[in-house]
Amino acid sequence: VIVRRILPRQLVLIAAGLAILLVSPMVLSSSFVNAAIKMMIAALFALAFSLAMGQAGMLSFGHSAYYGLGAFAALHLMKAVEQHLLMWPTPLIPVVGAAAGLISGIVFGWFATQRSGVYFAMVTLALAELLFTLAPTWDSLFGGESGISTMRMPSWMFSFGNDRHVYYLTLAWVVLSTWCLWAFTRTPMGRLAIAMRENEHRVKFLGFNTHLTRTLVFAISAMFTGVAGALLAVANEATNYTIFSAQASASVVLQTFIGGAGTFFGPALGAAVMTFFARITSDLTRSWLLYQGLIFVFIMLFVPQGLGGLISMHARRSHVKAIRQLALPYLLCALSGLLITVGIVFVVESVYILLSDTYVAERHAAGGALVPYGLLGWKFDPLSPLTWSIPTVFLLAGSALLPLAKRRTEKVWNRALPDSAV
Amino acid sequence: LEFFVISVLNGVVHGLLLFMVSAGLTLIFGMMGVLNFAHAWFYMIGAYIGFTCTRTIGFWPGLIGAPIIVGTCGVLIERYMLRRVHKFGHAHELLLTFGLAFIIEEMIKLFYGDFPVSYAMPDYMKFAAFTLYGTNYPFYRLFMGGVAISMFALLYLLLTRTRVGLIVRAATYRPSMVEALGHNLPIVHMGVFAVGAGLAGLAGAVAGAFFPTGPNMGVDFGTLVFVVVVVGGLGSLGGALIASLLIGLFTSFSVGFTWSLADLLGLVGLGDWAREVGGLLTLQPATIAASTPFLLMLLVLLIRPAGLLGDRQ
Repeated sequence: VIVRRILPRQLVLIAAGLAILLVSPMVLSSSFVNAAIKMMIAALFALAFSLAMGQAGMLSFGHSAYYGLGAFAALHLMKAVEQHLLMWPTPLIPVVGAAAGLISGIVFGWFATQRSGVYFAMVTLALAELLFTLAPTWDSLFGGESGISTMRMPSWMFSFGNDRHVYYLTLAWVVLSTWCLWAFTRTPMGRLAIAMRENEHRVKFLGFNTHLTRTLVFAISAMFTGVAGALLAVANEATNYTIFSAQASASVVLQTFIGGAGTFFGPALGAAVMTFFARITSDLTRSWLLYQGLIFVFIMLFVPQGLGGLISMHARRSHVKAIRQLALPYLLCALSGLLITVGIVFVVESVYILLSDTYVAERHAAGGALVPYGLLGWKFDPLSPLTWSIPTVFLLAGSALLPLAKRRTEKVWNRALPDSAV
Repeated sequence: LEFFVISVLNGVVHGLLLFMVSAGLTLIFGMMGVLNFAHAWFYMIGAYIGFTCTRTIGFWPGLIGAPIIVGTCGVLIERYMLRRVHKFGHAHELLLTFGLAFIIEEMIKLFYGDFPVSYAMPDYMKFAAFTLYGTNYPFYRLFMGGVAISMFALLYLLLTRTRVGLIVRAATYRPSMVEALGHNLPIVHMGVFAVGAGLAGLAGAVAGAFFPTGPNMGVDFGTLVFVVVVVGGLGSLGGALIASLLIGLFTSFSVGFTWSLADLLGLVGLGDWAREVGGLLTLQPATIAASTPFLLMLLVLLIRPAGLLGDRQ
């Protein structure tokens, strides 16, 4: 990450993005507003996570701990407000989440940052797992297995009964936190974090206390993670111990790297896109998580800089001629990708249907025969070679196109976008 | 004393099982610098292969087939995936195996469903090895321990007494020198990865029949294995053995303890106050048995950050 002044072009982009975010809830339906809230929270979570990962090079597999602690802290406060034990305006509830994240980040971070690299990753994972195993047995703090639920209270002339109020509250906090996270990268400490990622020994020899710095950077990352958790608590009004699960930590890692950990906005992009896709596809297929895993491994293998890295690579050197040259190779890439995707989806969904309980029941009704199954409105015979030749043809065609597309793209990249070889 | 003996036996067997999986992990890390996140998921594949074989051809073919198939998976992953991202650094390799773990888990769910399957040992192995204080001690536990011990002995002999082991150990410390002497380093790496994965597969096939086999076993076992290697010191086989046994004993003992901090404080007259405070003070070790390995890890990190037998960085 190189600190540059913001270009006017980027300012325009940011302003346009903000304007869209401000206007969209007025046009979108309620369920989309709800999806947008989740997307913004996921984006903030990913940004906070990548402060530790992208800036300081600390790969944490246990960020769900701070996410969950932020959420539980917010819920306890909301509960106290609901019971009129104390006065606290609803819009300021994420402050408690931030405090919970910061404190737990300092305590846990002090342990975790004893070591770096893969040790660090495993220690953070174990710390989150510690909370995950402890939470269901600790009734007073985490509400046992059922968790805590409460209500948002109206304050500051807003009722917060409406999704749109929650949306603007979330937006305000996400924008503020994003600005803070961005500003942090430009402080001397943010620069020190990057220096430590590049060469910790040298920073140590320069006389800095690296353990303290790493703890603080980690704690700040945990603090904003806590804000994201608190926003989730405000939006959902409930949570339970599963928020600490390895699944939650895993998804933020996946999203961050799909988006690209090397850029500032990449993780937010990845998180928003993946949350959105999850929302759409989880209604259509049960195998959504498998597809997410496949996308992640694909990105790790072929586009290690992530979506954000890919975009910024093009944005830096965009001129019309280069775009025109890239059109054909990109079309080839898209075609081959589409063919392979169709093949994989066909196989996965077929397997899923064939092994599902409903299909077994159908077979039973037909006296054990392998009856045709329905997929996308067509009927397929599970025993006919024709059925299985469809994905085979798709996969073979896609795989045959792939090397060609790769070669062509690389050729144009080397010519049109120098210093960007993958 | 009854509780003590049974706990020690259970703890040792559990520890040996942990060691079977963590041995491969720590071996791979020591040699290639790759932390294979998917390692515990290899263990899961092993268990499911064992389950499938028991259903179709029998228990013993599964026990032989699991390490071979999982080892082959390991070869393919090392050759076609890890080697490709090697140039991007170790963090990238870790992330790739992390994604693979994710895919393995979802594939298992796709084929076997979200719920645990009933993978059981054959009936002729369900007998008591001996009777202790009126309780029958299952033979299968001893069998698991036996497999783990013989595997450890084999691995130890292989590493210290053969030419192959000599090259592997040399490649851990001076890879470029080994290469300069004309040994094929990529093949050595592939072999180590395959053996490590195969061991995990074998452990899965053996242990899956006794412990529940379900889609969660990867995460549950995986975190434990990571705790073992952190406590033992990454890359150290001896450390992994000690840490595995320690954690096995710790968990099996804490299951039996039913007193809490409040009872302890009761000895000095603070019992009622502690019970009033509640929270952590009234938690019994038995209910937080699952958390004890993590607490042990924190303790080790405080006292000896490099792990029990790890090198100081």
